[in-house]
Amino acid sequence: MNGNRRMTNKKPLLEIKNLSASVAGKEIIKNLSLTIFEGQTHVIMGPNGAGKSTLSHVLTGKPGYEVTSGSITFKGKNLLDLSIDERANEGLFLIMQYPVEIPGVSFMTFLKYALNAKRKYLGLDELSAPEFIKLVQTQAQKLAIDKEMLGRAVNVGFSGGEKKRMETLQMALLKPALSILDEADSGLDIDALKVVSKGINDLDDGKRALLIITHHQDLLEYIKPDFVHVFAGGRIIKTGDKNLALELEAKGYTDFIKEAQC
Amino acid sequence: MLKYLDNIALIGEDIPALAALRQKGKVAFTGLPDKKTEAYKYTPVSSCLKEEMFSKPAHCHTHQDGHCDCEQKHLPFDAYEILFCNGTLHEHFHFCDGLEVSSLLDAVTDHEIGKYINKFELEKFPFAALNTAFLEQGIFLRVFKDIKKPIGLIYHTKQNGFENIHNIVVLEKNVNAEIIEVFEGKNSISLTNVVNEFFVLQNATLTHYKWQNSSPQAVHITLNRVDIKADGKYQSYTLQTGSKLARDETQACLKEQNASAVVNAAYRLSADGLVDTTTDIEHLSPSTASNQIVRGVVDGQAHGVFQGKIHIAPNTFDVSGHQSHKALLLSDDAKIDVKPELEIFADDVQCSHGATSGDLNANELFYLQSRGIDEQTARTVLTSAFLKTAFEDIPNSDIKIFFEELLMG
Repeated sequence: MNGNRRMTNKKPLLEIKNLSASVAGKEIIKNLSLTIFEGQTHVIMGPNGAGKSTLSHVLTGKPGYEVTSGSITFKGKNLLDLSIDERANEGLFLIMQYPVEIPGVSFMTFLKYALNAKRKYLGLDELSAPEFIKLVQTQAQKLAIDKEMLGRAVNVGFSGGEKKRMETLQMALLKPALSILDEADSGLDIDALKVVSKGINDLDDGKRALLIITHHQDLLEYIKPDFVHVFAGGRIIKTGDKNLALELEAKGYTDFIKEAQC
Repeated sequence: MLKYLDNIALIGEDIPALAALRQKGKVAFTGLPDKKTEAYKYTPVSSCLKEEMFSKPAHCHTHQDGHCDCEQKHLPFDAYEILFCNGTLHEHFHFCDGLEVSSLLDAVTDHEIGKYINKFELEKFPFAALNTAFLEQGIFLRVFKDIKKPIGLIYHTKQNGFENIHNIVVLEKNVNAEIIEVFEGKNSISLTNVVNEFFVLQNATLTHYKWQNSSPQAVHITLNRVDIKADGKYQSYTLQTGSKLARDETQACLKEQNASAVVNAAYRLSADGLVDTTTDIEHLSPSTASNQIVRGVVDGQAHGVFQGKIHIAPNTFDVSGHQSHKALLLSDDAKIDVKPELEIFADDVQCSHGATSGDLNANELFYLQSRGIDEQTARTVLTSAFLKTAFEDIPNSDIKIFFEELLMG
């Protein structure tokens, strides 16, 4: 084992065992197993169409994705028994590849509902209006998000970089136990990538875990992984450390996968 | 059903002007609309009427000082409130500088009303004819100066029966006023039949808000008849969330140059209610403009109806008339009927109409849920945002917030 990997003897945060899942009757994930402990950063790399995003959707409970066998345990609970919002309130958060635009709902309104939903789930009182505004504005400032953007409708008319910053803001406010970054670096220029990475790193309290899904290693310049998994054909075909990402980048997926499957 | 109307005793039979008006209404009223009545082809009023609706509602219990328990503040912002309790006007008016208020009966007695009442073809509007035949309750408002606070007309219904109300509002030249109507009722089996006649004189602006949240067993019919003179503006924002069957009909006549009208509306229905929004915007002069944004959300077995007509008269020019109706159908049994009509008899015009219907956007719903918001709340957030489009331009921030809160249920 590589010395950089953060090992723990605690219980797993997320434990995926022998998972198979299909979309519209077509099996996309095939017998996948993966365990993530508190504080770890895992990266899943693979070519387009390998099923990487399917995994993120299965974890978050997006309708249309059917688990056909296997199990997923999150913080000791059967994740598949939980609704989408319960999964989120338990501490699962997805930074989406394409954050959704919602006309007519301002970011502040949306954030208020999301924060208060989590607080209610945890048995806490709702935040007062001044508390809420102060909290959001402080975090927004750290991520170089203009106040004016908070008053606008959710993601409507935002650039790719702005959308990802807003995703990072939500992550900072909701403090999830496990964040899944689904191609979080797509559509980002280098400055935006730095801001988003810094935002994510600032949240590192030694406990939060990350599952980064990507097909190139730009983001890994800024967020250091503990494990890198190569994902192809609906399953993990090889696991290594950050050097594996460099190897993948150098060889390209086609050759690498052929080699790995020999 | 109509035979029960004979049992309704009216006051003011001894006022000749009133008796003449009622007689005119009786002549114009040739019966309730049925399936063959084109204007009501989607709105089967007759099948929703019940015997309990055709009696005069009992009066409220009044205390020794002449006030009743309903006379509390109804609106969550500062407003002059005028109360109709079970269809009867409570004549405890708040007067202010620039505002003249009287009951309809007093206005008829004083012969002030002749040049304003029934300035339209009564025969074309069966419920307006019925309204005139039973003319008794209503107010007459004249606005001479800008009114700083909205004028609230509160219709509070607790009893079964027939509520027949005729209001006349005159905005003199260069004045601005806001009127907000609120219809509220819980369990009453009532028929509410309102005619509003609005006269917006030169360079005046009337902003008219309405929230209809009547009993789920009620039938609610309103005709808003609006005359707009040069540079005058009528803008209305209507939200309907109640009644077994409700029809809100607006006929706005843009009579002189630069007159304009905004007739926006939203409705949200579940269970088996029907809401009908019918508009007829008459562009009778050059350089007139109108815009209508109507949004609806129907669930359960509910039924939304939108009939929107834009008429552009010959010899007009530089006219714009736009209309858009969009609806969300949240169940297989919910239904929408839309009938847009453009009647254009002039060349230099800009007109458009559009109608769409669909379900909530699944990706938007997932996005909200993936942030911990439960499905029911997420649906409410999204449907409210959809309906809010009709209220984006509400000029009064208190009322805008009030409407937004109503949309969130």
